[in-house]
Amino acid sequence: MKLGLLIDLDTCVGCHGCATACKQWNTSGTIGPLSDSNPYGKDPDGAWLNRIRTYEVGDAPGSKTVHFPMSCLHCENADCVTVCPTGASYKREEDGIVLVDQDKCMGCNLCAWACPYGARELDRDQGVMKKCTLCVDRIYDQNLPEEERQPACVLTCPTSSRLFGDFDDPQSEVSIKARERGGRDLMPELGYEPTNKYLPPREKATVEMFEVDSSGDGFSLKGWVNKMIAR
Amino acid sequence: MHPALSILVFTVTSGFGYGLMTLLIVSQLLGGSPFDNPNAYLTALLLAFVLMSIGLLSSTFHLANPKNAWRAFSRFRTSWLSREGVLALLYYPIALAYVTALWLNDWQTTAAAYALGGLCVVLGFVLTHCTAMIYASLKTFPQWHTRLVPFGFSLFFVYSGVLAYALAVVADGGSPHAAVWISGCVLAFIGLLFKLSYFSFVGEPSKTTINTATTFTEATVRLFDTGHSAENFLQKEFVYVVGPKTKALARKITLALAFVLPLVLSALQLSRDSSSLSLAVFAVLCGYFGLLLERWLFFIEAKHVVRRFYGEQH
Amino acid sequence: MTESARIASDLPAFENHSEQEVKFTTCYMCACRCGIKVTVENGQVRFIQGNRNHPVNKGVLCGKGNAGIMKQNSPAKLSRPLLRKPGSERGSGEFVEISWDKALDMLSERLAHIRATEPRKLAFFTGRDQMQALTGLWASQFGTYNWAAHGGFCSVNMAAAGLYTTGHSFWEFGEPDWDNTKYFMMWGVAEDHASNPIKIGLEKIKRRGAKFVAVNPVRTGYQAIADEWVAIKPGTDGLFALAMVHVLLKHRLIDEEFLVRYTNAPQLIIQAPGGAEHGLILRTEEGEPAVWDQGSENYASACDPNVSPALVGEYQTPDGRTVKTAMTLILEKYSDLQYSPENAAGICGIAAEDIERFALEMAQVAFKETIRIDTEWTDWAGRTHDHFIGRPVSMHAMRGISAHSNGFQTCRALHLLQALLGTIDCPGGHLAKPPYPKHIPPHIKPARTCAPNTPLESPPLGFPTCPEDLLIDDNGNPLRIDKAYSWDAPMASHGMMHMVIRNAVHADPYSIDTLMLFMANMAWNSSMNTAETMSMLREKDDSGEYKIPFIVSCDAFHSETVNFSDLVLPDTTYLERYDTISMLDRPISEPHAACDAIRHPILNPDRDVRSWQEVLIELAGRLELPLFIDDTGRRRYKDYKDFIVNYEKSPGIGFLAGWRGENGDQHLVGAPNPNQWEAYIQNESFFEFKLGDNQRFLRHANLDYLQFAKEAGWVGSTDQIVIELYSETLQTFRLAGEGVYDGPTPNTDAQAERLVTYFDPLPFFYKPLEQQQQDESQYPFYAINQRPMHMYHSWDSQNAWLRQITSQNYMYINRQQAIELGIDDLGWAWVESHNGRIRVQVKYMEAVEKNTVWTWNAIGKLAGAWGLSKDANESQQGFLMNHLISESLPQQKSITNSDPITGQAAWYDLKVNIRPAPAEEQGSWPEFDEVNALPQQQSSPESISYATHNNVNLSRSNRDILTRGGSR
Ligand SMILES: Nc1nc2c(c(=O)[nH]1)N[C@H]1C(S)=C(S)[C@@H](COP(=O)(O)OP(=O)(O)OC[C@H]3O[C@@H](n4cnc5c(=O)[nH]c(N)nc54)[C@H](O)[C@@H]3O)O[C@H]1N2
Ligand SMILES: Nc1nc2c(c(=O)[nH]1)N[C@H]1C(S)=C(S)[C@@H](COP(=O)(O)OP(=O)(O)OC[C@H]3O[C@@H](n4cnc5c(=O)[nH]c(N)nc54)[C@H](O)[C@@H]3O)O[C@H]1N2
Ligand code: SF4
Ligand code: SF4
Ligand code: SF4
Ligand code: SF4
Ligand code: SF4
Ligand SMILES: [Mo]
Repeated sequence: MKLGLLIDLDTCVGCHGCATACKQWNTSGTIGPLSDSNPYGKDPDGAWLNRIRTYEVGDAPGSKTVHFPMSCLHCENADCVTVCPTGASYKREEDGIVLVDQDKCMGCNLCAWACPYGARELDRDQGVMKKCTLCVDRIYDQNLPEEERQPACVLTCPTSSRLFGDFDDPQSEVSIKARERGGRDLMPELGYEPTNKYLPPREKATVEMFEVDSSGDGFSLKGWVNKMIAR
Repeated sequence: MHPALSILVFTVTSGFGYGLMTLLIVSQLLGGSPFDNPNAYLTALLLAFVLMSIGLLSSTFHLANPKNAWRAFSRFRTSWLSREGVLALLYYPIALAYVTALWLNDWQTTAAAYALGGLCVVLGFVLTHCTAMIYASLKTFPQWHTRLVPFGFSLFFVYSGVLAYALAVVADGGSPHAAVWISGCVLAFIGLLFKLSYFSFVGEPSKTTINTATTFTEATVRLFDTGHSAENFLQKEFVYVVGPKTKALARKITLALAFVLPLVLSALQLSRDSSSLSLAVFAVLCGYFGLLLERWLFFIEAKHVVRRFYGEQH
Repeated sequence: MTESARIASDLPAFENHSEQEVKFTTCYMCACRCGIKVTVENGQVRFIQGNRNHPVNKGVLCGKGNAGIMKQNSPAKLSRPLLRKPGSERGSGEFVEISWDKALDMLSERLAHIRATEPRKLAFFTGRDQMQALTGLWASQFGTYNWAAHGGFCSVNMAAAGLYTTGHSFWEFGEPDWDNTKYFMMWGVAEDHASNPIKIGLEKIKRRGAKFVAVNPVRTGYQAIADEWVAIKPGTDGLFALAMVHVLLKHRLIDEEFLVRYTNAPQLIIQAPGGAEHGLILRTEEGEPAVWDQGSENYASACDPNVSPALVGEYQTPDGRTVKTAMTLILEKYSDLQYSPENAAGICGIAAEDIERFALEMAQVAFKETIRIDTEWTDWAGRTHDHFIGRPVSMHAMRGISAHSNGFQTCRALHLLQALLGTIDCPGGHLAKPPYPKHIPPHIKPARTCAPNTPLESPPLGFPTCPEDLLIDDNGNPLRIDKAYSWDAPMASHGMMHMVIRNAVHADPYSIDTLMLFMANMAWNSSMNTAETMSMLREKDDSGEYKIPFIVSCDAFHSETVNFSDLVLPDTTYLERYDTISMLDRPISEPHAACDAIRHPILNPDRDVRSWQEVLIELAGRLELPLFIDDTGRRRYKDYKDFIVNYEKSPGIGFLAGWRGENGDQHLVGAPNPNQWEAYIQNESFFEFKLGDNQRFLRHANLDYLQFAKEAGWVGSTDQIVIELYSETLQTFRLAGEGVYDGPTPNTDAQAERLVTYFDPLPFFYKPLEQQQQDESQYPFYAINQRPMHMYHSWDSQNAWLRQITSQNYMYINRQQAIELGIDDLGWAWVESHNGRIRVQVKYMEAVEKNTVWTWNAIGKLAGAWGLSKDANESQQGFLMNHLISESLPQQKSITNSDPITGQAAWYDLKVNIRPAPAEEQGSWPEFDEVNALPQQQSSPESISYATHNNVNLSRSNRDILTRGGSR
């Protein structure tokens, strides 16, 4: 299996729902807690596994605003894994999920250096590296109702801009959508072969105009013929 | 890239340590100890050990969870850092064995000494290469992801070794072989040229742009919101902004300190009848701080590609 | 075994589910009120997720809803009742803790005295609450008409324009038919109350390939995913809409059947300029509106189903009066070239071709892409039809429209546009949500008299239809403290909370004794002119008494308003209390289902706090408010739960509509059910009553629906709800302004002129009032706010997770414009309005209309409030736009800066100038005294590592570490 996320840039409105869902699930999850420093003071900061950035593409007035959620892309060529000296970072053989064994990490940051996507954040309080787990502790939890065996961010997204699935299975929803809508890789030139794909904003919907002749004499009261319309 | 002081100190100091060790071994293997007595040689070796170890220890300072540092030896298969660690660890017993072999044989260069010494020299180069590859293997830093980096590391490894070695000999009251000063000059000159070409390499645009990062390759992309108000880990680690003036100044000082001055000083030594201790000390200080600054620049000029997501165009 | 199950069998048990408890309740991180499923572990919240079965959010949650844990953990939570330290100054933030007994004794004594003497001396106003049914009932039982919720400064323009036009509204009483619409135009919406439903809906329509057009000066959030973004100049939407009306009329692209059947367009309007009858609807002898029947070629009642009214025409009545159909007036009015796309283009900043194109695109979809839903239904006259016709053009609009002083008329313009296209409550159009639509306007009149120890004769708020309904005394002076329903704002159907502090302090129209605030941060982000408001709260009279003698606030957190209160009653959090989301209130219904919901305690408060619901019931008992005591004078309701179960507004109708009847087997109407709470809890804390297929559309004229709605108590009659494109109510007020009305007329020329100018019975465009009264060249920029999706007003700066996302706001400006002005990106700048100036940090962006600057709302905080450290970014770099906004008009200081019709606060009429601040001037300004810590306030932690259990690490075997090659 090659599990990952398909993220739809066409519909994401940047609500941060996935980011906070991720935070709350994972702070008590398998790699928890996710610490926050200075939470009520100056420059609050903490460990997040999923963040939303916003870009403006093109110049005004024709620019397009794009919300861009990013978490670990569970790359096939995950250099974050190969550089890790302790072996704490690894990519699971069975499903391709890239994880950090919290008990083995020494907090050297090297994996974060090796990740082009900013998907790894050191938890200063805990001294270990945190990253998206693809909610491994949800997706396999047989005690959760089946429809809830999904990453927290996917479950919560109000615009269904996040889909979870197996990219190895050509018939999975994520594979089909990625194929049909031209799912893209971020920084493909680096060769990390990310599993997560991004669907581009669609061509805008177009509607024809009602065909009218230029005269348009609707204002003329004299020319108005009332139809027989029953109340 | 945020320059972690411990990493700078580690790489430069241990570079001097390994370099010195290597030169001490090479000189021994080539023509016998340049020192008057074994104790001086031993002292120099000890110094090299100390420098190596300071570096190694300081490398653990930046670990957030040092209690797991021992695990760093376990991913020799893929991790250059792990390899570096393993080789560094390996270096000690071999270097010790080398010293022991000399000591047991009354400081005569026996076959065992040749073998062990040779191994140490090779190990020093390999180790330096591993260190270099920690950086050079990272595709995320276009400024590091180049063969120039391992070349430079090896160059500075030998270069700092030469400077330190010369000082050690002079400090012992001797005068190194002219070849030492000459190689000092030559290495400094190559270092200068190398660094100049690296500086120009660093200025080249990378093919990873905000456009390839965001998939929008047909228009200008500008960051509107980072999604968090205060700087986060990524920005603190990877976005370290130094003004262009400071950077230009630092470059000049680097070149002057690390290369030009030692070159001039070595040339001066060469022109003198007997080597001057103060000039040798001065050369090492210049070299050390010059290379420290060089390493600082090496970090701050390296721009992690995650910065594209934070608005950097290319 | 599936592959997943096989893999799962190798994994440790990450969660100990047997130690966890799952409960369902309702989110209140914002007013959307989504259903949540809360997992509790070790007395703490493990996880809050959306309830998949819930009609509002269908399982999803937004950024705030997902951060509930940190709201519950906020160090700003209040923990005991507080009394301003005797002798200390108000606003100095010095408090002593007192017991609940003492607090309630003190308060009920004071209130009893007010009630026995002059009840209106209690002004009771509530902010971002959702329990107006209870607070309103309480106030009317107390006997003060000085009650309102925040609607007057929030979005009354939307609600009122809808209720006076279509019977439902944008806002919360309707929504686009997301499942069927093919063209959606969104006007001035950043986030709105229907936070998740809008997001779910937008995704649906985009997925279907429907077109989404966003009209907004700024392109963020929802606008980001629009197919087209229309960068309108703020305050000019009315003209844009009416220019589209112009285009549609010009080409006669209108749904004549819809207009004839469902609107008052064919009704006849008397034309007698200058006369008392001018502009009124011609009526039959029975008092019914008259139309011209083409069949009989005679006048006939519009209520007669057997007529075929002329839509357009001018007639002479036998008694010699000239009458025209409303549609005729519409044609005449909007044919004027002031409504031409060319003219609108210059004012709105939208190209004329685009205006025309949008109109024609909508016409195309409405008339050429019509949809049909085959269902048998009965119309108002009892005729059956076998299908509904849908014109799948829909719209949604909110505060970008309402927060302007022309918002009411603009919103009416949108409704006119919808009606011409025939898209009101039809498939694919804008649907009503039960209990809406209501008759136009709802038949509730605001209470007019206050007497000692006497309940009001009707609710404090209602819907006036003529000057007699105003709350003015014999001299024409306002009766209410906020001057709602006075000549300044005759149709202020939500009150005017933004005027209360100013009016009370100026004793204009009179002074009060006690100001009781619930869930409102009036000392800060919900007042216009905040700096001035804070000093007004401190103002004393000659005798040294505060001009507002006593301020009580009920808040759950250490807000700025708490700091200015004399008595603070600490509330529970939303996870700690019983609460109802009632259909008597602002319901959570969906178009096809009537819904309500509850909250019940998921956690036990660890502090000495009480819910305001309980406190109100307690106070009502203590004050012996008639409804709350029985015949023997004893308390009728033990507590809030008991009240909710047993109180009946009218027989069989109470706060909760589900599981009524003694056995809990009746819905909507039924006797009290003692186990109603339990039934709700068992049903995941919500109730959803689905309408039949035949009751889902055209409900204003759908007998199947109307009969049902009448039984449910939602409407008073089954008469057709006729959409009022032409508003006789407005015309009636205008006649009063002209001085020809037989009844109360205004005293001053200024008042009269406002009525004549703005009470146009047909929607029209005018420049916002504030902008009319200042030299615009001095203040060239429009300045507006937006709601950040992940923050709720002032509440969320205390939330450790949400404030990481935004702890500082910027003033966003168009990049090109800023460069031309020499303002640096991230530089500090002075922004000045006629009312004051602020220093802000500027940030460039592309997608903002060139003459507009904007910021996120309510990020700026008073240093020390909200459990934040005094150097927190919110107070040092963040800022409030409110300091620039004035509650009065630039040239008429005694007149509210509000919509002249509804009294809606005109937050977004603001105009400013901007100039770079000198380099040494950094940080936001103005600065204020820091807020002191409360007694025994726990200090805020320096770091948090929240978890409800130790993590179960997924460990990698040493063997794997040593033997595996690359990454896979
Ligand atoms: N996350 C979150 N949700 C909230 C709230 C919150 O604080 N946070 N507050 C709740 C409350 S109380 C309310 S009232 C609602 C309000 O919900 P919204 O109506 O979404 O409120 P605003 O943020 O005021 O949005 C106004 C929008 O109109 C635009 N605008 C301003 N002037 C004009 C104009 O003249 N024409 C047009 N076309 N657009 C204009 C602004 O750019 C902005 O996008 O949201 C509710 N929901
Ligand atoms: N410049 C500018 N100002 C604006 C607006 C704007 O667009 N621009 N928008 C306006 C609008 S539409 C609105 S609705 C107002 C909103 O203004 P307010 O109604 O004042 O809203 P909040 O800031 O949310 O403050 C409500 C108070 O409720 C408290 N609270 C939160 N939860 C609870 C609880 O469970 N129990 C109790 N008792 N209290 C609680 C909070 O601590 C806070 O003090 O702001 C208005 N102000
Ligand atoms: S996104 Fe980064 S952390 Fe995740 S697998 Fe790829 S390189 Fe590793
Ligand atoms: S921080 Fe931890 S996971 Fe990352 S490379 Fe270092 S040891 Fe490995
Ligand atoms: S998959 Fe799980 S861990 Fe990864 S971003 Fe989503 S919620 Fe966070
Ligand atoms: S929850 Fe969905 S819409 Fe919201 S930011 Fe995340 S991906 Fe975008
Ligand atoms: S929209 Fe968000 S904050 Fe509001 S009720 Fe729903 S989940 Fe809660
Ligand atoms: Mo509001």
